[in-house]
Amino acid sequence: MTTVMNHKNPTASHRPIMERLNVVTALALGVAGAVISYYLAQKFLPENTEGSVMKTRHDQVVLIGMIGWFIGFMTGIGALVGPFRWLMGKDLSHDENMYLAGKNAGISRYFRYTTDHKVVGIQYLVITMVIFGVGGILAMLIRTNLGHAEGGWLHPQAYNAVVGIHGIIMIVGTIIMVTGPFGNFIMPIMIGARDMAFPRLNALSFWLIVAALAPILSSFFLGGITTGWSAYNPLASQSPAGMDGYIMFICIFAISTMVAGANITTTVVRMRAKGMTWTRTPIFIYGTVASVALALPAFPVFFLSQIMSGMDRALGTTFYDTRGGGSGWLYENLFWLMGHPEVYVILIPAVAALMEMAPVFTRRPLFSFKIAVMGIAGICGLSILVWAHHMYMTGWAPLLNAPFMLTTELISIPTGMLFLVLVGTVWRGRLWMTVPTASIFALLLNFMIGGITGIYLSDVPADAALHGSMFVTAHFHYTLMGAGLTGAIAALIFWFPKMTGRMIDKQLSWISFWLVQIGFNVAFMGMFMVGLAGQPRRVEAYAELFIRGNQITTGAAFVIMTGMLVLLWAVIYSWRHGQKAPMNPWQSKTLEWTVPNPVPLENFETLPIVTSDPYGYGKAQS
Amino acid sequence: MNKRILGAFLTVALGAGTIAGIGSYVASAKNDSRVLEATLAGTLQTPEGNLPHYTLDMSVYPDSMFGGHGKDGGPHPDYVSYGPVTNFTVPAHSAITITVHQYDSGETITNPFFAKAHGTMDGTMTVNGQRVTQIAPDTVGHTFTLHGLANGKDQLFVSVPLQYVPEEDMPEEGYSSSPSVTTFTFITGGEGEYIWNCEFPCGDGSYARFGAAMSTMGYMSGHFNVVKA
Amino acid sequence: MSDLQTKKPQWWKSKDVQVTAGLWVVFSALIAVIGGEVNARPMGEPASETMANTIHIMRMFTWVSAPVAGLVAAIAAKALMQKMHFGDNPPPEADHQISDSPKATALWLVVSALLCLFALIFGMVVLQKDNNTLLDVHAADINVTGQQWAWNFDYADSGNFQSADLYLPVNQPVHFHVTSLDVVHSFWIVQMGIKVDANPGYITETAVTPTKIGVYDLRCAELCGLLHAYMQKKVHVVSQQDYNNWVTSHGGTI
Repeated sequence: MTTVMNHKNPTASHRPIMERLNVVTALALGVAGAVISYYLAQKFLPENTEGSVMKTRHDQVVLIGMIGWFIGFMTGIGALVGPFRWLMGKDLSHDENMYLAGKNAGISRYFRYTTDHKVVGIQYLVITMVIFGVGGILAMLIRTNLGHAEGGWLHPQAYNAVVGIHGIIMIVGTIIMVTGPFGNFIMPIMIGARDMAFPRLNALSFWLIVAALAPILSSFFLGGITTGWSAYNPLASQSPAGMDGYIMFICIFAISTMVAGANITTTVVRMRAKGMTWTRTPIFIYGTVASVALALPAFPVFFLSQIMSGMDRALGTTFYDTRGGGSGWLYENLFWLMGHPEVYVILIPAVAALMEMAPVFTRRPLFSFKIAVMGIAGICGLSILVWAHHMYMTGWAPLLNAPFMLTTELISIPTGMLFLVLVGTVWRGRLWMTVPTASIFALLLNFMIGGITGIYLSDVPADAALHGSMFVTAHFHYTLMGAGLTGAIAALIFWFPKMTGRMIDKQLSWISFWLVQIGFNVAFMGMFMVGLAGQPRRVEAYAELFIRGNQITTGAAFVIMTGMLVLLWAVIYSWRHGQKAPMNPWQSKTLEWTVPNPVPLENFETLPIVTSDPYGYGKAQS
Repeated sequence: MNKRILGAFLTVALGAGTIAGIGSYVASAKNDSRVLEATLAGTLQTPEGNLPHYTLDMSVYPDSMFGGHGKDGGPHPDYVSYGPVTNFTVPAHSAITITVHQYDSGETITNPFFAKAHGTMDGTMTVNGQRVTQIAPDTVGHTFTLHGLANGKDQLFVSVPLQYVPEEDMPEEGYSSSPSVTTFTFITGGEGEYIWNCEFPCGDGSYARFGAAMSTMGYMSGHFNVVKA
Repeated sequence: MSDLQTKKPQWWKSKDVQVTAGLWVVFSALIAVIGGEVNARPMGEPASETMANTIHIMRMFTWVSAPVAGLVAAIAAKALMQKMHFGDNPPPEADHQISDSPKATALWLVVSALLCLFALIFGMVVLQKDNNTLLDVHAADINVTGQQWAWNFDYADSGNFQSADLYLPVNQPVHFHVTSLDVVHSFWIVQMGIKVDANPGYITETAVTPTKIGVYDLRCAELCGLLHAYMQKKVHVVSQQDYNNWVTSHGGTI
């Protein structure tokens, strides 16, 4: 069965343009676009005006070059094919859509603009691993520097760039780590659909992330960034051209997130299988939708904050410059308006995934599905009302400190509901001990510590001692990494059989689990200590009294590194040589386990009809 | 050893190796390891007794073409730079006299606090032969400000303004033949690692202008180590 | 007669509930005590009442969260205290079918709301105390200027003399007016537990009464560029007499 269109002459060497586009053409066109626009900008842009405060020309040139890369790359990958054909009035034919979906295409479909949600899911998995790899290398550079007594191994400039880029790369990685691979691959099957609502947008959301990686990685070679991942202005306006890479990265990533958000939400709302009422929808679906629904209002604000930052740098505007009538506080508000909901964007899918796994590995029903949904909804609703707890110490609006303390402490109530659901599910369960099961317990420990330290931070007087210290760094690593990453790794092991047809090697994954969890807890407990003792964050050198704590954290960080590398090997090895998986290795009751491995292109022979929720374990006895 | 376990070890080794490689590259990049050590010059009577006396000579140039950054001025030939290098080592518990030849022009300093001498032995400095405690804030070229971590170590804070070369005396090419000369003496405490930088922002960025040259070590900032004598 | 229907055993009499309850007491106690110590020790001796209140509030929050954390730990531990099944196939399904418990949920919600309320009220009370120090009319005023990468101080009440050193008289309230000349910094006196950002174009306020003579640390707490790590200074709290001597020797007036 052939998928080539316009097949008048089978031996014709002329293939449609659409078939020639792939990651190679994307890279080529992207580089060409960058070089050409850079050259044109250099040649024709006017010099900096004499006496202007900011030398904006260099930033203009860099930004134009990066925009050239972006347009070239997205054209080269084929993102414009669909819209172009629609504009021409000759929408894509069924065969062309099948080609785009990667029908009968083999491995090459992973390297082009493929719309099949399963392909996009795998692509997201790989790019997430790449992002964590880069972020992890940077983390080890940070810890090696801080492991030297009093720091000082890396140059202060290099250190600040490493810290800032580590932060933003990891934030993006943790945002996509569950909704990317599993929200795309698993979610449509789990709701009994054949694909997502907007398959071309699905491919777009993935390739936008690939396009975005070039600007952020290039920032290292453009002088780095002087700020942390929060890119505070006015410091950001002083930063070398690497800051423009950060700005481009965020702008492109924000578009990707918004596109994915629209796609996932529409799919879940409109394409659930017959009979899958909202009370029969798996909790993981709720988690995924909640996460992207939160991202939808949050990321445009981030996007705008960066546009204004870019304008201050490249056009001499003064949005964030008090001398020009602007304010740094404007930036801080815009940033944290995104920054707080965003941590729940990261956390909720990971916790929801573990809530999905809990009944499977305790062989009993999920405790209080309704409370789980209420907890997720409560967290989402409250999370847009708490942002200024990141600004208690800024002096921006001291009178608002108390109301924000109220809303922030209220979030502990819906968060507590999620704990209730998890402990309620393990209570009197018949535990099937696997790495995902152990991850549930690890999450309970790590999230408890992360949550309680969050309560200290939410208290304004305590925050006066803790803000801007390593205590904060330890707190958010406990929640985003200790809870979030643990859930994501468990999700990987759980859904690996469905995504690749093989089981992840048990021994290696257990070794990785213990190394990462023990290393993690030692490392970040040590970090709480130095924070309480007064070590500020984002410093490349520190006073004598913090030496011991930093050495402990660095040592433990190397343990985490080993664990993550073992996991990497486990994934690579198992993908090729792992034990072949049966259709439903975990004997789970959700819909994705009713399709064979490898999952057929259109998922289901006939669309399923759902008659109950997927948590009917133990009830079978009644 | 079966393939699985071997693969795990190799992945860890390869990962660690990659990190070590990238780390070494980053750590060495831009890290100027050249250091100027202070020269012994006898002893000096100070309010803290008779202490060993050391001297250091440095200069401030309006660009990087003086040779300290290579023949072509290095990656930023137009950046103002201190020279001959920007890292200095002096002994502990000694009197240090620093002489700075300042070849750059200047203007009104943003924070007049730094137009005064701070932390010097008697609160004074010698500017072009005259003993003063401060200079006019609109005649400042740069500063030399020495400071460090709040640490178990002794606190060291020394700051002097470096007077400008008036616009009329700035030549079209090359450096002025009449740089301003500032000399000051201070006493070091125990060993420690400190930092010095210029506190008169003139670089790129927002109105504060601490970007570009000001934020690139090796030009207007550097390390200042106090070591055992 | 003949009530052959067996009565459901009261839930608190079942063995696993009792074991869990026991574990709960043990874990809560451990978490409260160890957690409290682990928080307080590294913070050291407070040098002001503000810091003492902060250390106290963190200890309080630890004690209040301990029962919740202890319950989670107890249930988790009890769940792990069973014969582990590791195989490739799942164990037989659990007997337990309960998928909801309105009573347990209601109890959890009420207790967590009460704990939340407690934390809030406690926090507000301490916040109010801290805010009151800002209103003290007898406080000495010191203007703090942060710039990349050093602090300098203007002793407004002592003739506006300027210094790069921060000296404070013990047991006297002091009011800091903080600003920046370039980017955002943060004025943090570690052992006194006070912090406020230094913003360009604005003046922000914080106040404290140092209660112990000694030498403390001022560290910049907001990344401000290249040498942020070195933007630090020692803070000297001395007796009133020593303070007066220091001021006059630097050209200030009492």
